[in-house]
Amino acid sequence: MRRLVLLAVGLFYALPLLFMLEVSLQAEGRGLVDGPGVLLRDGAHFENYAAALGAMGGVPRLFANTLLLTVVSIAGQLLCCSLAGYAFARLEFRGREGLFLCVLATMLLPEQVSAIPRFLLFRWLGLVDTFAPLILPTVLGGAPFFVFLFRQAFLSLPPELSEAARIDGASEWKIYWRVCLPLVRPMLATVGVLTFLATWNDFWAPLLYLLSPDNRTLTLALAGFHQGYNTAVEHMMAATAVVIAPCLLVYFLTQRLFLGGIRTAASKH
Amino acid sequence: MKTLARARAPWKVIWLGILAALASAQERVLHVMVEDPLLAESWELLGTLSREFEARHGGVRVDLLSLGGAAGTMDRVKLLLAGDVPLDLTRIDITELAAYREANALVDLEPYFEGDSDWDPLEWFPICLDALRDERGHLYGLPQTFTPYVMYVNLTLLDSLGIERPAREWSWEEFHAICRQVTADTDGDGRTDRFGVSLTQWLQALAPWIWQAGGELLDRSGRVSRWNEPPVVEALTFLHTLLHEEGVASDDATFENQQRRGLFQSGRTAFYGPVGYWERFRLRAVREFEWDVLPLPRHRRAATAVAMSVYVVPRTARHPELAYAFLREVLGGLPYQTRMGAIGNGLPGLIEAAHSAAVRNPGVPPASFDVFFEVLGEARFLPTLANWRKIESLCQAELEGVLLSGDVAPEEAARRMAEKTDAYLDLERRREARPRLPGGVMSAAVALALLFAVGLYLTRRGPPPARAGRAEERAAGAFLSLWAVGFFAFLLGPAVVTLVLSFCEWSPLRPLSDMAYAGFDNYTRLWGDGTFHTSLVATTLYALLSVPLTLALALALALLLRATSSLSSAVRTAVYLPAILSPVIVAALWHVLLDDDGLINDLLALIGAGRPRWLEDPSWVVPAFVLMALWSVGTQMLVFLAGLSGLDPTLEEAARIDGAGPWRRFVHVILPQLTPVILFNGITGLIAAFQIFAQPYVMTQGGPGDSSRFLVLYLYESAFRHLEMGYASAIAWVLFLLLAILSFALLRSSRRWVHYASRSVGR
Repeated sequence: MRRLVLLAVGLFYALPLLFMLEVSLQAEGRGLVDGPGVLLRDGAHFENYAAALGAMGGVPRLFANTLLLTVVSIAGQLLCCSLAGYAFARLEFRGREGLFLCVLATMLLPEQVSAIPRFLLFRWLGLVDTFAPLILPTVLGGAPFFVFLFRQAFLSLPPELSEAARIDGASEWKIYWRVCLPLVRPMLATVGVLTFLATWNDFWAPLLYLLSPDNRTLTLALAGFHQGYNTAVEHMMAATAVVIAPCLLVYFLTQRLFLGGIRTAASKH
Repeated sequence: MKTLARARAPWKVIWLGILAALASAQERVLHVMVEDPLLAESWELLGTLSREFEARHGGVRVDLLSLGGAAGTMDRVKLLLAGDVPLDLTRIDITELAAYREANALVDLEPYFEGDSDWDPLEWFPICLDALRDERGHLYGLPQTFTPYVMYVNLTLLDSLGIERPAREWSWEEFHAICRQVTADTDGDGRTDRFGVSLTQWLQALAPWIWQAGGELLDRSGRVSRWNEPPVVEALTFLHTLLHEEGVASDDATFENQQRRGLFQSGRTAFYGPVGYWERFRLRAVREFEWDVLPLPRHRRAATAVAMSVYVVPRTARHPELAYAFLREVLGGLPYQTRMGAIGNGLPGLIEAAHSAAVRNPGVPPASFDVFFEVLGEARFLPTLANWRKIESLCQAELEGVLLSGDVAPEEAARRMAEKTDAYLDLERRREARPRLPGGVMSAAVALALLFAVGLYLTRRGPPPARAGRAEERAAGAFLSLWAVGFFAFLLGPAVVTLVLSFCEWSPLRPLSDMAYAGFDNYTRLWGDGTFHTSLVATTLYALLSVPLTLALALALALLLRATSSLSSAVRTAVYLPAILSPVIVAALWHVLLDDDGLINDLLALIGAGRPRWLEDPSWVVPAFVLMALWSVGTQMLVFLAGLSGLDPTLEEAARIDGAGPWRRFVHVILPQLTPVILFNGITGLIAAFQIFAQPYVMTQGGPGDSSRFLVLYLYESAFRHLEMGYASAIAWVLFLLLAILSFALLRSSRRWVHYASRSVGR
């Protein structure tokens, strides 16, 4: 009985993806009226994929853009948030508690509240339609939640660690970089994974800033393709499948990292 | 050099310097934003023509950018211009021309045309050029393609039913009679599956009916609407009868999903329309039946609407004279215009191209190609108003109540459309009279906020540390500096500026100095804005439904899947996978799943339930989004799983020994220990729910009516589509306050129900 329930649940969650594959392989122009089974009758039409990719245009470029944004964001986010988290956790300075409370409070601040002035700022800097408006806020500002996560991770290290290093004459930077950072590797993985998801899947910022076709990301291109006046439903599903593929690949390659990462974040709140 | 000296920031000077150096070192680059990249053949031709253009004009490089063919493309051009991105030539929709012109965002091309000895306006369709002129008669661009709205007809179907093909001058009554004759339930399952007409329902497609009934949308001055007059009600009633009372018209042809189902394409409707020439492109693959076009059926008078794409030169153009040359030689040239027409997305504005054999293409339907030209005499554009898109959006919401869901009476909709339009036009007039915001107020506000923050820090930070601590404090300062810059520049600073902006009124197409002071008007407008009310209710409803349901489902799944077996680990993966997908992907996928004939309805039919029209029925659309949220509960489930693995096993064991059943163990042992996790998931879920954006943006664009115009979508539309930055800022602050209040309430109440046991997860 329990196995049956499990199977039903798994099927329910997998069904939409299977349906997507089925539609993506049916003959172009059939629409949805025929229902399932049309594949058996007509055979699979793999040419839909080539047609969909051709119609979406510049797919390698879209991949490259998305990848570049993601990698830079992850690197920047890790450095910036771990530095801030380290300072909040292991360095004494005046006003630390108050400032940290401020960080916690901004976790409630939706991105959209600062969106309009941000747009004006980047327009003033002449950076609209470049990657900078997407990268700078993550690299410099960082998400408050990640600062919080790093603070928790650094707090869990014993204070004697830094004291010993200090007595040995190590600089604060060295203590952070050589001693403490290697010890919070799980948290680095966590924040890396969460940043990957946030950047790879982001829609709001690309929609506002990546305006030239050469600058588009995958999700942005997919949204545009989806709303195209002439997009056939078969091509739409084929394109969706293609965009999903790398996410699944990354997920299966780094499954441990992924699940471990989310779990660490969950148990630290 | 003048611009360099005047630039306000050192940053900008450096930036401009680099750009200027690059520009002088290299050739002049012409940035041209052209049509749909889907049309590979026109893209290639354009490339060739551009190379030829470069050869004729030494030292010029043409940079072709494709705009894409989606609904969001109109916003993209606005964002480019609002973002001050250099662009020399761009395609826009004619309905947006007035908005750009009013904001002074376009170059008046009249001097260029006057100085051009080769220019002959008679080579172009007069109706197209007239629409591109301002009240002084100045021309702002050239047409790309245009099309009048006509009616497509399936001749094979009519013949097979023995129905006589209608004449070119036919009436509403004849149209109505044929629709009735065609409509049938051919397979006897109780659902109509052959319709008279697949009726298009966006405003441009609807206007012809109103005009034919003798009505008008606005009065001549453009200051008062005429929705509330008998002809409009008559037209709406006629369509409502076709769609809902008699069910002889299918509603598959809404703007959002005309391509998904296409009943006409599959031969199941006799008529399709009113639509434009572009359908010729979509119907090119149809072999199963013979089709043709007809003028729209007429009533008191003959009338139809025109759609058009035009090329214009924005103010941000670096080389307007070159842009004009490119416009005349390439985009307005015979080869390009002919190719555009031949592809079939629209008719070329150049008369010679429109009548060419390549466009006419006699072997390919429609046989009555000339209908497109014959109806031009009765064709009209929609009113040209700067804020037309906002009015269109206000009215569309009401129209959907009559046409799509059918539960609003035509009189009622017409009255409300008139009310909303007049209120908005009123607002526009008041806008003109507003005082300008003195320059520097914005900077002063930012400086003040910064001073306040620094002051607060200096006074509250406590006594200075001992000598040994100074070094540590300096290190902390260095460590935090990188993050602090971003924190203040991109998060906290902008949030403060948003507050200031919410008391202003400003369109981003205009310079900052044009900002007007609006006092509390934006907030009072929110108070009386029906769209905002609907938006607020829809967002709250979505949050109230999705947050508890996802929490419960995620917890149930976690309990079900916490055992370690290979099956449950496989199912865990299946449940988690959807959560890593972008909302855009989820939306694209579910848009198809939730179709009338999609997987969800097929499944519901299996268990004998009804077939809700998820995305077309205002009362089902929020539940549809909740359903999607339930599919993406993977992350929350993982968080619960982590929480479960951190539980104290001895407690559960003890309860088991005491004879507690599974339910009692869950309620009295597991649940209390999980309360911190529930709080965490609840708050993050709440914040995410209030920010839902990508799904409605991709799937419904806020429809039907306003029923899925969630707060963030409304904010986006207000700011970047209707260009009301001040109003959008007010929405942003309301959103923030709402979230802050709800989160605090939740945190406050958590003291009573969250248990932090010694070994529970948490701090």
